[in-house]
Amino acid sequence: MSDLRFFLQLFKPYQSWLIAGVLLSILTTLGGIALLTLSGWFISSAAIAGVSVINDVTASFNYMQPAAEIRALALIRTLGRYGERIITHEATFRVLAQVRIWFFAQITPLATGRLALIRSGDLLARMTSDIDALDGLYLRLIAPVVVATVGLSGVLIFIYQYAPLISLNTAALLVIACVIVPLLFNRLGDNGAKAIVSLTATFKTRQIEILQGLRDLQTFQAYERFKNQVLRVSERLIETQRGNNRLTALSSALTLFISQLTLLLSVILAAMALQDGQMSAAESAILVFCILAAFELVMPLAPAMQMLGKIQQAAHNIRTVASLPPTINEPEQSLPLPKNYDLQLENLSFRYENQENWLIKDLSLNIPQGSKIAIVGNSGMGKTSLLHLLLRFFDPQQGRVLLNGEDYKQFNSDELLSCFGLLSQRSQLFATTIRGNLLIGKANATDDELNAAIAAAGLESFIQKLPDGLETWVGEQGLKVSGGEARRIALARVYLKNAPIILLDEPTEGLDSKTEEDVLTALENLVRDKTLIMVTHRSAGLRLAEKVYQFKPEGLTQLPSVPDKLEQILLYSE
Amino acid sequence: MPETLLANKTAFEERRNREKYCKQWLKTQQKTVAKSINYAALAGICNGLLLVLQSALLAFVLHGLLIEQQALFANLDNLRFDFLAFFKGLLIIEATKPVTENLLLPALALLFVVMMLRSFSVYLFQTLGFEAAARIKSRLREVLLNKLPDLEPDYLKQHQSGELAATILEQIEALELYFSRYCPQQLIIAVLPLLMIALVMPVNWVAGVIFLVAFPLVIFFMALIGISAAVASRNQFLAMARMGGYFLDRLQGLPTLKLFGQAQAELEHITQVADDFRATTMKVLRIAFLSSTVLEFFSALGVAAIAVYVGLGLLGKIDFGPAKHISLQQALFVLLIAPEFFMPLRQLAVFYHDRAAALGAADLILKLSDAPILNWSSQPEIIPEELKKFPDLSLELQNVSKLYGERTVLSNINLQIKPLEKIALVGESGAGKTTLLKLMLGLEMASEGAVLIQGQIINPDLASRNITWIGQGASIFYGSISDNISLFSPDYSAEQISTAATKAGVTEFSDKLEQGLATIIGERGYGLSGGQIQRIALARAFLKNAPIVLLDEPTSHLDEQNKTVLLEVIDSLFKDKTVLIASHDPAVIERMPRQILIENGRLL
Repeated sequence: MSDLRFFLQLFKPYQSWLIAGVLLSILTTLGGIALLTLSGWFISSAAIAGVSVINDVTASFNYMQPAAEIRALALIRTLGRYGERIITHEATFRVLAQVRIWFFAQITPLATGRLALIRSGDLLARMTSDIDALDGLYLRLIAPVVVATVGLSGVLIFIYQYAPLISLNTAALLVIACVIVPLLFNRLGDNGAKAIVSLTATFKTRQIEILQGLRDLQTFQAYERFKNQVLRVSERLIETQRGNNRLTALSSALTLFISQLTLLLSVILAAMALQDGQMSAAESAILVFCILAAFELVMPLAPAMQMLGKIQQAAHNIRTVASLPPTINEPEQSLPLPKNYDLQLENLSFRYENQENWLIKDLSLNIPQGSKIAIVGNSGMGKTSLLHLLLRFFDPQQGRVLLNGEDYKQFNSDELLSCFGLLSQRSQLFATTIRGNLLIGKANATDDELNAAIAAAGLESFIQKLPDGLETWVGEQGLKVSGGEARRIALARVYLKNAPIILLDEPTEGLDSKTEEDVLTALENLVRDKTLIMVTHRSAGLRLAEKVYQFKPEGLTQLPSVPDKLEQILLYSE
Repeated sequence: MPETLLANKTAFEERRNREKYCKQWLKTQQKTVAKSINYAALAGICNGLLLVLQSALLAFVLHGLLIEQQALFANLDNLRFDFLAFFKGLLIIEATKPVTENLLLPALALLFVVMMLRSFSVYLFQTLGFEAAARIKSRLREVLLNKLPDLEPDYLKQHQSGELAATILEQIEALELYFSRYCPQQLIIAVLPLLMIALVMPVNWVAGVIFLVAFPLVIFFMALIGISAAVASRNQFLAMARMGGYFLDRLQGLPTLKLFGQAQAELEHITQVADDFRATTMKVLRIAFLSSTVLEFFSALGVAAIAVYVGLGLLGKIDFGPAKHISLQQALFVLLIAPEFFMPLRQLAVFYHDRAAALGAADLILKLSDAPILNWSSQPEIIPEELKKFPDLSLELQNVSKLYGERTVLSNINLQIKPLEKIALVGESGAGKTTLLKLMLGLEMASEGAVLIQGQIINPDLASRNITWIGQGASIFYGSISDNISLFSPDYSAEQISTAATKAGVTEFSDKLEQGLATIIGERGYGLSGGQIQRIALARAFLKNAPIVLLDEPTSHLDEQNKTVLLEVIDSLFKDKTVLIASHDPAVIERMPRQILIENGRLL
């Protein structure tokens, strides 16, 4: 519940929208109830008037007014519905935007260290759908509950004036039907719901396991067996869902039955009151129709109660992620950035959380400003982690990283990042124009600067060929650029940033040899008077470096010269 | 944003065509469970018909109470269960006033029964609908899982396992409500309103005509509004799609934004885009919501018109149609039916987003089920004479080339491997070693040329029978160490497994574990080191006992000491096999009598 309350607090700036939506909704629903009640009364009174005496009474029955009121109510109902839809959706959009902005601000300090630790692509997609699920908090949970509570109170007070007993009886039964029954059945379905969550997780793990091990399973002719295991999990999942669906169906049936029962009881009680002369015939018609119409008010309650769990879960998930601790702490008072960018790694040892073995053990290295080094080694050994330490995504468990002789921990991490330009094998392009993507490198870059960057990255001919040039949309819903083009756009971005230290993480991985050559030439220009730190497991690109180190579990060893051929690396590693 | 009107329209048309395709597919799926859907719809129709009966009973009782001033419990002594009179009274077609005397209690009893039956049909509607969806879900999962091993390796490489798993799990799950509620409801809409009109007609044909006219009008206006909304969204379609994906895109790019010091500035953009998105979407919604307004309008108008008409008729103020001879029972009956008449349509509108969700899911499911597969049958079955030159070779590659798109990974490879040869395949990462191995394993198809195993053209089945493969980082599956070793077949004896485990050096570490070979490993199981995994992979390969063994970079994660031990184990395990090891580790290369050097996709 505290999670829901938290988000309601977040909604506060838009409370006038939220309240307006609810009010309109109440007006619409009450309009509908009044319409049916008035109609019922009108018909009954007319019939009674028609029966009692001919002409005289009929003439005195003012039928013009109710007829006009009925038409007016029909109009209120129609317009109210439209207005209610518009306002509640405006409100929802505003509130959702608020939640998104809050979440983005919360998660910014968690990037990139914390996000690198969790499978973040998957997680963030899930977060987005959880945030979207929060739109149900107002639209499907709060609004229906408030509308039902207020509207029903109004209806019950109205009925109470004629027949207190019927009012109380109706109130009790409707609360049982629309609140207690759904909540009770939700509770009954708890075990099933938990089983569904765990079976879903099992299915997913098994499924990912056979996908990742697909090659092994195929070559060992074991796929069929493993596939059947996954299908059995799916069958168990469906079986559990069947049980829970039966509960939900039972709950809906009971809700309907009990609320219909209020109608039956009201008719009986009204008949008795009528017989005792406590109520007039017209009044009892009003009661019956009013209760009949009030079902519209309470019917959304049952689905709202069923939504409760889901929305709570979404709210909980979002808050859990948003409150993860960052992997590094900012200093209380940060040092200003130095003019000199000498880097020193001092006896670094590092492993990720929950990891048993050291990934980097007792590693020391001096990287003076302007030097150009490359670190070669097999993939998966910790070269990228070393770059992460340099960018201070993480702090090493032992040892220190120094910038101009000062411990990294004394600098503000965002300022520290401004010293580095990183080009990696994953070139993140944003869904925007090429210009927009370049401006990430430098928000206020002039056209001249952009053109220089484009030239430096060898993008000129690519852009000239596009009809919309720099304004071409790339990524999702736009032009699909090739890996080489994406790499060059990322390269131009790094060029624009003009940082003193350039980090390259397998910068030409996945490119064909022609593109690789072009990118390397561009890189040569880029790093000319900068510090270069490059990690790779290939010989291509080593010519950018002055010194080459080999990364081994035992530590770094410098190679006597920069190899330009594979055989030489092999030679050195002996 | 620079989207032109044309770009918007093109994107919209593209999407619409795709949607049509998805819709078609959903229809085909629906046909496979037509029976369950029909039964669910039948339950819904029963509910509607029972509602008509309920209204008739209620009108009957109210008439007796209000007009005839019958008492419910007046004559308990001589209760009359004159069913004939009762049903005559219920049949409110005759304008003559019904006789309700002493029939109110039976009517109330019947009302109770009807209410129970209605609840029961609601229960049936939900459970029967579920069965339809359940059958589709379980069949689709099987179809997709069967497809996975045949997919082109390139497709698998481009899609993360998590993404594919989500399609098979969550996207298929997202189809449920479409089949369980939306489809049956569609059938209900086609039948129930007509039945209701047919039942109202004899009682009061004016009310019947009001319904008869209103229903197609509602459908017409809703369709018209739907089209206008589509037009409105067409002109901004692309812009809306882009803004809709903006948040996730920036969230996923947050590390990059941070690297460039732009995270803070992005917050403002997100606010701006969210605002624009709201404004644009609301423009479309303002039209789209007219649709529910029309429904509301006709339903309110129906109630109002009928109320005024029968009310004035009862007062004798109009004498058009059956107004003059109307009874309260008839009047109440039609008034009670009026709001319920549009109920099924309203319900369909509530279920409408199930349809949208299903279309979205279908799009992703179809992407996987339409994904390209390796077509092994396109290979010649009979080997041409000139290929049969060396029938006793273990492996032979003749003029083999492999292209990914326009990128050449292997070109014109000719290679002959004799039985029992021990070979090192040397080359840098990216030189084409792994691709070459995959061609031999039947995991990839050569773009040109032929790969032969023992004189036969390769296919996955042939390859998996004759070749054992130990890849970089073998996969460990959830289960015991024994299970993992006996991957090839569950029928190995415990003895065979333990022999293999001993020979491959698995027992060296498993003996130290409390449960030995029965220790559970894999996801959430006992964590193994890279070297230990390799031992298990070796035991697995040894047990399979295939004549050819391919190893891919077996030593890449090991230090010098472990490396030597491993290589000795490999020597002893596969003495009597053809062995090919891809590596650029000199320690490996030195040991092998024959070396094949590969560079830039060519053999040197």
